[in-house]
Amino acid sequence: MKKLNRRALSVMMIALFIILGLFTYIERFLRDGESWASYFSRLNSLSEGYVTDRNGVLLAAFTANDNSYNEDRNTRIANYHVTGDFWNRTGTGILTNFARQLHSYSPITGMTQTKRISLKLNVDSVLNNKAYAALAGRKGAVGVVNYRTGELICMVSSPAVDPIESDPVAPEGVYINRLLSATFTPGSIFKLVTAAAAIECVPSIWQRSFFCLGEEEISGVLFHCPFEHYTNDFRGALANSCNIAFAQIAISVGQREMVNHVRAYGFLDSHSLDGIPTAAGSYPLEFVGDPETGWSGIGQSTDLICPYSMLRFVAAIANDGVLVEPKLIDDGKPAEQSLLVNPETARTMQDLMRNNVIQTYGDNRFPGLEVCGKTGTAEVGDGTDHAWFTGFLKDEEHPYAFIVFVEQGGGGLSVATPIANTVLQAAMRRGTDMEY
Amino acid sequence: MQGDFYAYTLAASKAILILLSFAILLRCLRSMLREEYDPETWAYLRYGRDRLPVQHWEVIIGRSPDADVYIPEREIARSHAILRRNDLGQWRVYDVFSRGGVWVNNVFVDDDGTEIVSGDILNLNGICVRFEDLSMEKRERLESKRSGVGRRYSPSLTLLMLTAFQLFLLLQHSFYAEPETLPDIALGFGSLIVMEWSCFNAMRIINRAGFEIETLAFYLSSLGMSVAASSTPEDMYKQILLTLTGVVLFLLCGWWQRSLQRTASTRVLVAAGALLLLGINVVASDVVLGARNWLEFWGFSFQPSEIVKVGYVYVGAATLDRLFRRNNLYVFIGFSAICVMALALIGDFGTALVFFVCFLVISFMRSGSIATVMLAVTGAGLAGFLAVSARPYIAQRFASWGHVWEDIYDKGFQQTRAMSAAAAGGLFGKGAGNGWLHRIFAANTDLVFGMVCEELGLLIACMMVLAVILLACFAIRSARTGRSAYYSIAACAAMTILLTQLALNVFGSMDILPFTGVTFPFVSRGGSSMLSCWMMMAFLKSADNRREASFAVRPGETIRSASDREAIREARREKRAEKKQATKAGRAAKKQSRRGGAS
Repeated sequence: MKKLNRRALSVMMIALFIILGLFTYIERFLRDGESWASYFSRLNSLSEGYVTDRNGVLLAAFTANDNSYNEDRNTRIANYHVTGDFWNRTGTGILTNFARQLHSYSPITGMTQTKRISLKLNVDSVLNNKAYAALAGRKGAVGVVNYRTGELICMVSSPAVDPIESDPVAPEGVYINRLLSATFTPGSIFKLVTAAAAIECVPSIWQRSFFCLGEEEISGVLFHCPFEHYTNDFRGALANSCNIAFAQIAISVGQREMVNHVRAYGFLDSHSLDGIPTAAGSYPLEFVGDPETGWSGIGQSTDLICPYSMLRFVAAIANDGVLVEPKLIDDGKPAEQSLLVNPETARTMQDLMRNNVIQTYGDNRFPGLEVCGKTGTAEVGDGTDHAWFTGFLKDEEHPYAFIVFVEQGGGGLSVATPIANTVLQAAMRRGTDMEY
Repeated sequence: MQGDFYAYTLAASKAILILLSFAILLRCLRSMLREEYDPETWAYLRYGRDRLPVQHWEVIIGRSPDADVYIPEREIARSHAILRRNDLGQWRVYDVFSRGGVWVNNVFVDDDGTEIVSGDILNLNGICVRFEDLSMEKRERLESKRSGVGRRYSPSLTLLMLTAFQLFLLLQHSFYAEPETLPDIALGFGSLIVMEWSCFNAMRIINRAGFEIETLAFYLSSLGMSVAASSTPEDMYKQILLTLTGVVLFLLCGWWQRSLQRTASTRVLVAAGALLLLGINVVASDVVLGARNWLEFWGFSFQPSEIVKVGYVYVGAATLDRLFRRNNLYVFIGFSAICVMALALIGDFGTALVFFVCFLVISFMRSGSIATVMLAVTGAGLAGFLAVSARPYIAQRFASWGHVWEDIYDKGFQQTRAMSAAAAGGLFGKGAGNGWLHRIFAANTDLVFGMVCEELGLLIACMMVLAVILLACFAIRSARTGRSAYYSIAACAAMTILLTQLALNVFGSMDILPFTGVTFPFVSRGGSSMLSCWMMMAFLKSADNRREASFAVRPGETIRSASDREAIREARREKRAEKKQATKAGRAAKKQSRRGGAS
């Protein structure tokens, strides 16, 4: 019988297995319980959750009997990447990232509470509609942020789907928020980074002049410009976006300092937009040779940036170097502030970017606006180009920093600037309470 | 105002349910596992100056420290001989294929063993010990010194708590149930209360104080009643009837197992019956939802495999003397293989797995050899692999395991709903009767863990699991003090079946194990399952030999010899005959007098 006593412990192993399983379950319950509950229990719950834009326009709602969105199809589609959907098909949506709040869910009480939660966003849905329409079905993204307060007033990624359709005809990559969750070759807008680095690291930069005949061999590798830019100083090189000049400038700055600046400006990190993680960019970190430093200095090579991190960078420049961290949600708390760019450098950059518009793009492209900016036409490698335009308004009433990106859209100046103009004009009018 | 009142009452009742559950479990745990209980003493072996107690009805004598009667002498084998007592109080000694053999009063003990009486000298390869049986008075004196059950943790108080638990469950149901079904639900909980108290009082009358097993079973049954009230309130009578039948079967089975002889002699019969039932099932049943495990009888559908489970434990357990004979184990392995194959044919893989795990535990307890267990696992794994490669659709049934959220409208339909509802319940639940999961197919059987989580909360759902584990721990503990290996093995095997079912039910519905659709003991709705669970409790009850604890254990009167017993029987027979004679005579006299009066 003593023998049996020990053998009986084999039953204990099953009991231990069950306890182990129970812990596994509890661990999963704590981790995923919220998303489990949001699937089918939501409709049987008593709490309500509403998502509205900055003007109180309803974007999405959880109610006792229904999950609903805005009634207008265009508004639903244009704001798709802001709201996300109830199926969590896109990872960056409010419905996915703030589900626990909106559901009044907690692992302790489950979904048994009767609460009414509303989440007010900084986004202006009408502005989003305008931006989405301006992108006209092309792949791309638009972001506009108030660089003084951090309010992210426009966030659009195109194409998008109608969130009420359970199985829409969806182009590839439709569920990716191109502003936050993807990285692209930056092309010439990256010259802003190189320029800022040069201002700080190359004291002789203002005395130098650069000569361009459309192509030039640098350290044995041929660099091209679309036109002959002839003789330019630093200021003119940025305004003309001269590749040959900026390859040389990047080499003068040196690989190590370039990497330091790229890192310091936050291009290599993933940021958090009210808890929603953004994509981290990449930049060649090792020195391979001067030509490679030159290529990466003009935003080609293996450079990849997330449009959102560029938006942060120009917003910091616009705000004299101080970054007011963008906020998607209006929770009444002030945004975090940090010094991203040296204030001296930032002011110089403002001047340079304003000069770009005056000298090259022309103020007539932006009637009534004082735009500072930089275009970009990034070679993807298959003959197509990404069109970029980023910058800000020098306007205390309307302190907006912006980025416009059209994937394989063509030239930055011809494709991206009209979109920026449309969005900024709309933003101006919204800002002054004029009828849109 | 009224809304507030409801909300506060609901919140308070939720807290009270959890506290009561916790208290019931804790009291049962302390009483069953924490308290020390003295072993029984049935006889002595005198060796030199030492008096070695014989504490079971079956003991091994040997040199191994594992031996129940430990005699550290080189001449003796590690396990040398077995002493065994039968229901009548007769003792036999068996040789365990030892080197030197066993002699009783200088007569060699052969394979069938030799009966011994008090004063006999056992010669174990030269080592002589004297066997001393206990006189009736001596045994009674020893028995009265043993610590009893229920002193420190009064079973009536625990039962009172359970009654309160049931009343609060009823209160919550009264908030949410349709008014026309409320009387039925009240009747359901009411009859549970009546059942448990009459059971308790019956035990009191026959002077049995252990009631923890019944309390836990009734605790789980109340959760089952709550599940039934939420899901099928129009069908409460069935649940009441089933619980009642279950309790009656529990009492009958417990009483039946009081006699080892009776169980031993009926084992072959039960085995044959079990095979016959499974045979009928394989040949004659309908395919219901993928598995053909249902039989229809006069409008009642029932699952033969549930009843076969009880038979399987009954057949699988064995007394100690049989453990040492290999061919007994081989016959059992054959029987198990047929059972598992029959279930696989039916397509009830969950139950087949339950049987297989039970088989592993029984064969390990009987043989003590891990090699045997490994062999069985390898064999089963091989068979499973062959089955899957020959019939790929079997594998497909388990394909959604771990990926249920990728297929929420088809393969993962039930599990995802169960998980969602369970998460929505949080720790404290939405209130009994307030869930929505019961509308999903098989919610009250296969997804019952989800239902309990949703309505009563994760805490009570965990305590429901712990209640079964507590019963299993008690089975393990009883294996040490059990009178016979039969009772110990049967209790452990029965709890293995319940534990395995529980694991498959809970983790299957929560996508931690493949979803096989077996029932949660006592809680899942299902007629045959409820009956078999109560019958399993009888095995546990007959392994519980704390002093005056279990109705399924005889007090163990000592009768010195068979002739004494025969004499007592003769006396009884005579007395009965006399009485008969007397009544006959009386009736005749009455007749006479009536006739006399008429004339």
